[in-house]
Amino acid sequence: MKKILFILPFLALFFFTSCGDDDDGLTCEDICTNGTCVDGECIPNDDEDVVIVTENISSDATWTSDKVYQLGGRIAVLSGSTLTIEPGTVIKGEAGSGPNATALLVARGGNLMAEGTASLPIIFTSVADEITPEQVASGNYASPNLDPDIRGLWGGVIVLGNARISASNDDGEQLSEVQIEGIPTSDPNGLYGGNDDADNSGIIRYISIRHGGSNIGAGNEINGLTLGGVGNGTVVDHIEVVANQDDGVEWFGGSVNTTNVVVWNTGDDAIDADQSWSGTLDNFIVVNPSDHSFELDGPEGSYKAGYTIKNGSVISGNASTLINTDDNTICNLENIYFTGISEGQLIDRVDHVEGEVNYTNIILDVNPDNLADFVNGPVPAGVSAGNTPQADASVFGWTWAAQAGVLSGL
Amino acid sequence: MKISQKVFIGVFILLFLLVGIVHGQNGIIRGHVIDGKTGEDLIAATVFIPSIGTGTSTDLDGKFSIHVPEGSYVIKISYLSYQTITVTEIVVEADEVTLVPNISLEESGVNLGEATVTATAVRSSEAAVMLLKKNSTTVLDGISSSNIKLVGDATAIEAAKRVTGVSIEEGKYIYVRGLGDRYTKVMLNKTDIPGLDPDKNSLQMDIFPTSLIDNITVNKTFGADMPADFTGGIVNLETKDFPEEKIFEVSAGFSYNSDMHFKSDFLTYDGGSTDFLGFDDGRRDLPGLARSSSIPTPVSGASTDQVTRFVNSFDPQLGAKTTKSFMDYDASITLGNQFQIGRGTAQENKLGYIFSASYRSDYRLYNEVFYGEYQKFIDPEKLELRYATTQEGRLGEHSVLIGILGGLAYQSGNSKYRLTAMHLQNGESRAGQFDLDNDGAAVGQSGYIAYSDNLEYNQRSMTNVLLNGTHKFQENNWEMDWRLATTLSDSYDPDIRRTAFTVLPNRTIFAAGAGGNPSRIWRNLDEINTTSRIDLSKKFNLFSSPSKFKFGGMHTYKDRDYEILFYDIQFFGEQSWGENPTASQVLEPENLYPAEVNNVYYQSGNANPNPNEYQSNVNNFAGYTSLEFNPVPKLKAVLGIRGEYYVQRHTGRDQAYAGGNTAKGNNLVNEKVLESFDLFPAVNLIYSITRDQNLRLSASKTIARPSFKELSYAQILDPLTNRIYNGSLFTYKDWDGNLTETRIQNYDLRWELFLNQNQILSISGFYKSFDDPIELVRIPEQQTSTEYQPRNVGDGQVYGIELEVRKNFEFISPGLKNFAINTNLTLIKSKIDMSTAEFEARKVYEKVGETIDPVRDMAGQAPYVVNVGLTYTNFEKGINTGFFYNVKGETLHIVGGGLFPDIFFQPFHSLNFSFSRKIGLDKRTTIDIRVSNLLNQKVESYYKNFTAQPKIFSSINPGRSFSLGIGHKF
Repeated sequence: MKKILFILPFLALFFFTSCGDDDDGLTCEDICTNGTCVDGECIPNDDEDVVIVTENISSDATWTSDKVYQLGGRIAVLSGSTLTIEPGTVIKGEAGSGPNATALLVARGGNLMAEGTASLPIIFTSVADEITPEQVASGNYASPNLDPDIRGLWGGVIVLGNARISASNDDGEQLSEVQIEGIPTSDPNGLYGGNDDADNSGIIRYISIRHGGSNIGAGNEINGLTLGGVGNGTVVDHIEVVANQDDGVEWFGGSVNTTNVVVWNTGDDAIDADQSWSGTLDNFIVVNPSDHSFELDGPEGSYKAGYTIKNGSVISGNASTLINTDDNTICNLENIYFTGISEGQLIDRVDHVEGEVNYTNIILDVNPDNLADFVNGPVPAGVSAGNTPQADASVFGWTWAAQAGVLSGL
Repeated sequence: MKISQKVFIGVFILLFLLVGIVHGQNGIIRGHVIDGKTGEDLIAATVFIPSIGTGTSTDLDGKFSIHVPEGSYVIKISYLSYQTITVTEIVVEADEVTLVPNISLEESGVNLGEATVTATAVRSSEAAVMLLKKNSTTVLDGISSSNIKLVGDATAIEAAKRVTGVSIEEGKYIYVRGLGDRYTKVMLNKTDIPGLDPDKNSLQMDIFPTSLIDNITVNKTFGADMPADFTGGIVNLETKDFPEEKIFEVSAGFSYNSDMHFKSDFLTYDGGSTDFLGFDDGRRDLPGLARSSSIPTPVSGASTDQVTRFVNSFDPQLGAKTTKSFMDYDASITLGNQFQIGRGTAQENKLGYIFSASYRSDYRLYNEVFYGEYQKFIDPEKLELRYATTQEGRLGEHSVLIGILGGLAYQSGNSKYRLTAMHLQNGESRAGQFDLDNDGAAVGQSGYIAYSDNLEYNQRSMTNVLLNGTHKFQENNWEMDWRLATTLSDSYDPDIRRTAFTVLPNRTIFAAGAGGNPSRIWRNLDEINTTSRIDLSKKFNLFSSPSKFKFGGMHTYKDRDYEILFYDIQFFGEQSWGENPTASQVLEPENLYPAEVNNVYYQSGNANPNPNEYQSNVNNFAGYTSLEFNPVPKLKAVLGIRGEYYVQRHTGRDQAYAGGNTAKGNNLVNEKVLESFDLFPAVNLIYSITRDQNLRLSASKTIARPSFKELSYAQILDPLTNRIYNGSLFTYKDWDGNLTETRIQNYDLRWELFLNQNQILSISGFYKSFDDPIELVRIPEQQTSTEYQPRNVGDGQVYGIELEVRKNFEFISPGLKNFAINTNLTLIKSKIDMSTAEFEARKVYEKVGETIDPVRDMAGQAPYVVNVGLTYTNFEKGINTGFFYNVKGETLHIVGGGLFPDIFFQPFHSLNFSFSRKIGLDKRTTIDIRVSNLLNQKVESYYKNFTAQPKIFSSINPGRSFSLGIGHKF
């Protein structure tokens, strides 16, 4: 009988597990400040000026400037449909990361007619931003409550098209077609690439995109403005990206030309080009990116093309490099001025065996004697020290960056 | 989990109320009599002790029990038309049970008189399994508890790999004949049990301590009385039931690994106060309100105080810390007995009980862990592979495993009842530190350097209750066996933390686009599984030879709940961490919102409803009938057919629906995702060439059904590998979203020769054809992240040969009769016809000089499996010792495609040594010595492509360990 006593300690082990869950003391009421608690669940308050968008745009639609459009998820403008956004409209993405991330995605064949004006830009921001259409109409474009370094509150704007990309080897029949970063493949609206370089995805003009860049997984985020396989029939002009957690503007192939761009306080790279984008970026300002100011990649497939980036000014700030290229990068860099440079920031490659990078009139605001300290390798002929801004900053008066004064001196 | 523990406790209280006081007066002789030809129990055989004129007869299990005074005895066992056997040298001591197992009686021919054997000779180890094997109507292999003991295996998985054609993956999963886990089924006491891994179909067998196991058998061919959802093999773990003798055994052991133990830099983190018992005390639980659809953030409208309180409700530990590791240790206790009720009558009633408990604690420190992601170059002239991301670092693991089993068995007249309850509890705490290098030049990569701290905990539990009844009606030769079993299982990963700082040239921060923001994940899988089965059989004469008619039914219900919740750490504004920051400083109070810099808060990655959550259930109704008969002498035929009606239902949704797109999104509410009725014919022919030689031929149809997760809209991000899994229901350009079952035709031919002293020689050949096999396919459209989907790929074929030799060396010299070789070898060839999409994706990256065939190996299929054991056994001296070698050929692990090369498991040459010796006056104490991984091999898998130098996908070094164990029987 005594032997049975041996077992008791073993049995006792299993009573430990019945311990109750401990509570951290917060109740629904504690966290539900914009809504009402029903059975412990926070139900958001209704607001008649807010239109919550949860369905894809499958027929032509217009978003008007008298309302705030709240993105409840990943909203796609489907092929054959046109979304028109009036000048001065405010669009806000709900919070979330991973599958919960919100974004506006223009699928291949879809059309986005977002034509803001210098006085009535279209604002894409977080639901946490208290900015209103009335405030925009009054000419004040800054967020009333969010600092310009608050990142990752929602996703971003993604435009996809049918232009050529270089994402895998083509055999003449198989065209490159891949899924855009940040969108799972189960959403076929995330596919981009084709063979129509003149493809037209609409007009995107006077748009300010803020506080986006939700995390999807390590190394997988949504850029402020993603342009995947977008054709040169599309107009992309006057764009501002502020405080995006991932890159500011990223081109994945395509042929679209992009003009007048400001990228301020990105959490990753400011200007990022991949997969043989074949367009031109003309007149831009980059301020204080967290990683590369320019992350310039080469082709990823057998189709090879290059791009041109010209007439820009960069306030280097926290950037990790000045210009980052790969060995196979193909591009022309012309008339770019870097200022606010700190030690360790480099043009990190000047030799390109497989690709070709042309440096023309790249001006570094450093002591001419130390110029070589900012170039990894021999200083190319097109790189010099100086202090002449290259961008035409006068066209950026409509931006938050300009209103905040960060473009002064450029 | 809570419910399962209550059930468990209840059963144990019941058990101990029932168990009376163990007592004994005289000694007892117990034995088991079997038919030497069929291996079946001989019921009502006469057992007689001439010296004292006492006798009895065997019961419905062929067992007998006689109470006798101390002394030495001779017993005679006889049965009508069978040869009488005399067993000598049976020594009986007071209050002890003397066992005489495996007394096998042969049908008497003309020349057979009486035979005499000694008690020692019938007690040898593998006899029971061997006889089962010889007489099985299907191709069967197995290992018994006595052999497990000889080899010294600690868990079921280690023991199982000794079985012919069995190999082990990831230390947890059993593969039979090299076929993947999808094609192997594991059962417990012949009833279904749930798996514990959300990503696998088969059960993690490392959580079964061998002390609870009576035997493991592997059926490689299908019989109508078995579930049809297996192809390679069906593995049955039989737990211990009726002890033949009083057992009170205690054992303890230690194991030392010079690379891992008593190291002061062992990586760990602070867990809960009950970690040593294999479960978390709640410290790692998700804070209550984190589950809410809106959590307090600086932008949710919550007050500063609410955000701070919420941030503080999470465990502030993100960094691994170092401590000193101890060595591995284990202990177990087993007790049991049986006693008579109503003694003196001819048919006595027996009541038996068994209780077993075991505890293990293992420390593993891996100092050179490497994980790699590699790509092909786009340029067809560049043949080598390039890296995208490499992770190199150290990993510390502490695992606790507790197993408890209690059983009661009662036998009365023609009936036997058994109630078994088992609980397994395993907790594994893991802490790792890695350096990451991402190459920006690789496709889809942005390029970064980072270092990460990973903290994980995996808690698994399983509770199983079985009620089993067997009834034998001698008058009309009917036999009935029924079983009811319920299993509750749970696999819980609370608070998986990954914190990776990205090192930029001028500062170190969290960069979402590079090493990522810190994240915390909770993952839970709960499953309940209820099986009921009944099997009836009747013996009769057909064509004037004994025949057997069988029929029965089975119902299985499974219900699984699965959920992942994840949270990102975000920074409200700029970050500044100083030089060389560590993960442990991230959640220090000065960094939490509101703060000067960093301003840590949490953002929810969970939509409401959650797309990373599902419930699925299965109802499977089965019925079968089979006939075993001898159409001509020497040929036994077993013809059977089984029908299964299978319905799988799923509740879950995709991201689009969860995001509010109720029109275009997909949402299933307990919807049928699979419904099928199949008939599975099975033909098994056994031709007895001689008394010791069989030729077996079998043909059958079996099935492999998609798992719960596979038939879903689930889109699951695996936090550990950063891979995304898509359920099969999504459609793609080249996939219609219609995942079907795989139907398999199986053909087996085997010749086997049984020799005395459990020696065997057998050769088998097999062929299997797969209709629509399912494989995990990498989605080529996605190049930034890694996405997979299960799909039916092209048809497949597997064929192979198997060789088994179990032979002692007496044929060389009589002095070598204690030396034996026990080896088995399986050679397999597999091929799959690639889908058009896969073939084209491969063609796009065809290298110069390479020719891609539209055929490849089946994923998970090993080309060969080798087991060799060289043993020395001396029963008189109580010595068992041997070397055991096991290896599996290079196996396609993950199918690549397009840019991504295939990944192959490398052969792991496992060589172990074990020695055990019984010592002491009565040989009641056993000492075990073991050395594992004598060759000091690494466990590795590689990327391979054409002529490129292979690159490491994962590499881990288990080191060499030395164990010492001691056990004592009271």
